Amino acid sequence: MDTVLKIENLTKQYGRITAVRNLSLEVHRGNVFGILGPNGSGKTTTLGILLDVIKKTSGSFSWFGQPPTKEMRKKIGAILETPIFYPYLSAVKNLEIVAEIKGAPVDRIEPVLKKVELYERRHDKFRTYSLGMKQRLSIASALLCDPEVMILDEPTNGLDPQGIAEIRELIKQIAREGKTIILASHLLDEVQKVCTHFCVLKRGSLLYSGSVEEVNKGVESVEVIADASDMEMVLQGYPMAAKVVEEDGKYIVTLENGARAADLNAYLFSKGITISHLLTQRKSLEKQFLELLAESDNA
Amino acid sequence: MLRLLRIDLKKLVNYRAFWVLNIMYGLLIFSIPISVMEFLKWLKEKGAELDGFDPMKIPVLHFPDIWQNITYVYVFLKIFLAIVVIISISNEYSYKTIRQNIIDGMSRVDFIKSKLLTILLLSLGSTLFVFLTGLLTGFIYTPNVAVSDMFTGIEFVFAYFLDLFTYLVFAFLLTVLLKRSALTIFILLLYLPIEYAITGNLPESMEFIAEYFPLHAINNLIEFPFAKYWFQEIQDYVSLSAVGVVFVYLALFIYAIYAKLKASDL
Repeated sequence: MDTVLKIENLTKQYGRITAVRNLSLEVHRGNVFGILGPNGSGKTTTLGILLDVIKKTSGSFSWFGQPPTKEMRKKIGAILETPIFYPYLSAVKNLEIVAEIKGAPVDRIEPVLKKVELYERRHDKFRTYSLGMKQRLSIASALLCDPEVMILDEPTNGLDPQGIAEIRELIKQIAREGKTIILASHLLDEVQKVCTHFCVLKRGSLLYSGSVEEVNKGVESVEVIADASDMEMVLQGYPMAAKVVEEDGKYIVTLENGARAADLNAYLFSKGITISHLLTQRKSLEKQFLELLAESDNA
Repeated sequence: MLRLLRIDLKKLVNYRAFWVLNIMYGLLIFSIPISVMEFLKWLKEKGAELDGFDPMKIPVLHFPDIWQNITYVYVFLKIFLAIVVIISISNEYSYKTIRQNIIDGMSRVDFIKSKLLTILLLSLGSTLFVFLTGLLTGFIYTPNVAVSDMFTGIEFVFAYFLDLFTYLVFAFLLTVLLKRSALTIFILLLYLPIEYAITGNLPESMEFIAEYFPLHAINNLIEFPFAKYWFQEIQDYVSLSAVGVVFVYLALFIYAIYAKLKASDL
């Protein structure tokens, strides 16, 4: 697997405060990598260092296996925190400046503006845009150089639900094109919905790093209803059931690691029980995230 | 290089304050020779107390006097261009666009270069404008134009360029240090009296260092010319030692900008 970004023992200190502590990470090609952490956990500082706007205290990182240069940054589409543009310039003029800096062709401006649905407003000044439009313009700007990697920092911050849905759809669409995306967020739900891999930061330290799928694979619980008198006994007899609880005529079965709802269904069928209702519930990332944070507090 | 200049000009050409200040500056340059002549005419009309002397005969705007005279006056207008420079750079901080420029793939040195190129263009443009205004005014008011007189003292136009360029780079440095436009303009204006207060109070044995202070050095490029009209000795040439000192400051300012930007978090 191609390594797009490799961070080794990165540290940033502001006086006595350590914003990033000994961080090591790897992001591979095609990943949608979420950096998850509460506000002030060092997400933006880390991204700032990767983009040379913040000076690291120690450690190293490399893009595509090479030490960072400005040429590397030209191939990365990135937004940190809020969308930043010249407020007195139109979308087109702003993107012309970005294209000039990145050495991207000017005829890319039209398609990217269409993609984020700002083409109609392209000649209006940036300051007249709503927050959602500003966010979309920064995604357009990040797409301008047809980047191999996109870095998005809290891309849905401050948006209304519709705006959030639009931006997420856009991110997924971009991910489907095979681009590597690094996404910082304090919203677990966002990371779970959009990312393939993620890490958790807290007070500048790495708590966890792995794939979302792995986490989702984790413990599964299944809600079943069936018209059988010996239901509870049969369920108790299932070797992969860790726990069985009855609740308003429904049975909630917590499965052992690795077991799936389909396995349970097959087992019940083999015992002559047909079920009328089956609902899979995964332990959400949020729960795990909070657990991770709690664990680190106890440590 | 040209690409970096183009980037910075793209930021400026649609910015209204840029044009307002430049046009005001241009109008002032153009109107000063006209108002000087009007003033002399007015003196002539009032005439009596001048013992029959015709003030229109004072060769203020004649070749070759004109070059030192107008450049001496015009350098006072550089504050307009300094405000253009300060706004152009402080905007990058207040809009945080300097940060986005770097993220998008500029190096910090590229950023400095692009701003210095704009400053160079402003200084060259202004110098050209001053040169053309001087030439035109000289042609109009010099009684008998001799080609040999026309370009005597033209080194003051070069001195004007150096004066303006160094002052604008100084404004660049102050903006990088202070970041906010109003504060920077205030400090820039305040700096001159402070420097003169310091040099004015130097002990006698130390007085010789006064000319090595930055704004003293810049102001020494073009010395006060009008005293000759009341028959005092003046320095009617550009002193090479002043040029040397100014070049040293220019290099220092640019290095300080580089050192500051290279190390800072944006």
